[in-house]
Amino acid sequence: MSKYPLKMPETAFEGKATWKKIPLAGIITEPTGPRYKTGNWRALRPVIDQQKCIKCLLCWVYCPEPSIIRKEDDSVEIDYDFCKGCGICADVCPVKAIEMVREG
Amino acid sequence: MSLIEVRWHGRGGQGVVTASDLLAKAAILEGKYAWHAPMFGPERSGAPVVAFTRVSDEVIEIHSGVYNPDVIVVIDPTQVIEVDWYLEGVKDGGTVVVNAKDLPDKLIKEVQKKHLKLFYVDAYTIALDTFNRAFYNTPMLGALVKATGLVSLESVLKVIEIRFSGNIADKNKIAIRRAYKEVKKYE
Repeated sequence: MSKYPLKMPETAFEGKATWKKIPLAGIITEPTGPRYKTGNWRALRPVIDQQKCIKCLLCWVYCPEPSIIRKEDDSVEIDYDFCKGCGICADVCPVKAIEMVREG
Repeated sequence: MSLIEVRWHGRGGQGVVTASDLLAKAAILEGKYAWHAPMFGPERSGAPVVAFTRVSDEVIEIHSGVYNPDVIVVIDPTQVIEVDWYLEGVKDGGTVVVNAKDLPDKLIKEVQKKHLKLFYVDAYTIALDTFNRAFYNTPMLGALVKATGLVSLESVLKVIEIRFSGNIADKNKIAIRRAYKEVKKYE
């Protein structure tokens, strides 16, 4: 077992961790991207009308984030923690089941 | 009027640099000296972007970024809660113009501590009503003009006509006028 820490400490993301607490040689030991919630960049929020959805999964293919969560039965859900509101899903949806609405 | 320094905070894609540029051009139209530059580095869509403008009656010989601004404009409504980030280095008695419906308590506390003048306008609604997209820059420029009187509304509208054309110019003018009217001072 290494004497160096193998997990990225939480404080590293607040700029408080020193080099002693960070894994050796700047190794990233776990995916750290999801810790930054980018969903607050959004100006317009996509809302899915599940009644209209035909489960074609085009939004799931096109979402650049990807913030479209595909479920067991191929129905989809939006991850608002990371959706930046680009509107591509609403644009590609063939049945217009996704609507971009204002925040708040 | 001596040197006035403005710092703009927003996100890439909202027109932070354009707003700074328009303000500088409006000042030049009025026969003043102006200087403008964005902060280089994070200019991709969605990243926090900073731009600087200087306006003066005399020749401006300082070309660095603005560290102690007289005026701070927060274009992005989601950044209004990050008070420490955008109030850094503000001069005592300076002006802050934010894009917000409600003001966070922390901002009000800081404003009272540093004797700042605080103005707020709901540019989110104005931008989505007029452009149907998140262009908060020209509404916030209108709010800044009302809050500080740095340049006149007429010269800003004239610059809009030079920079944009047709439908886009008209929409920007509507947005600027509406923000100019709707901006409120916090007392």
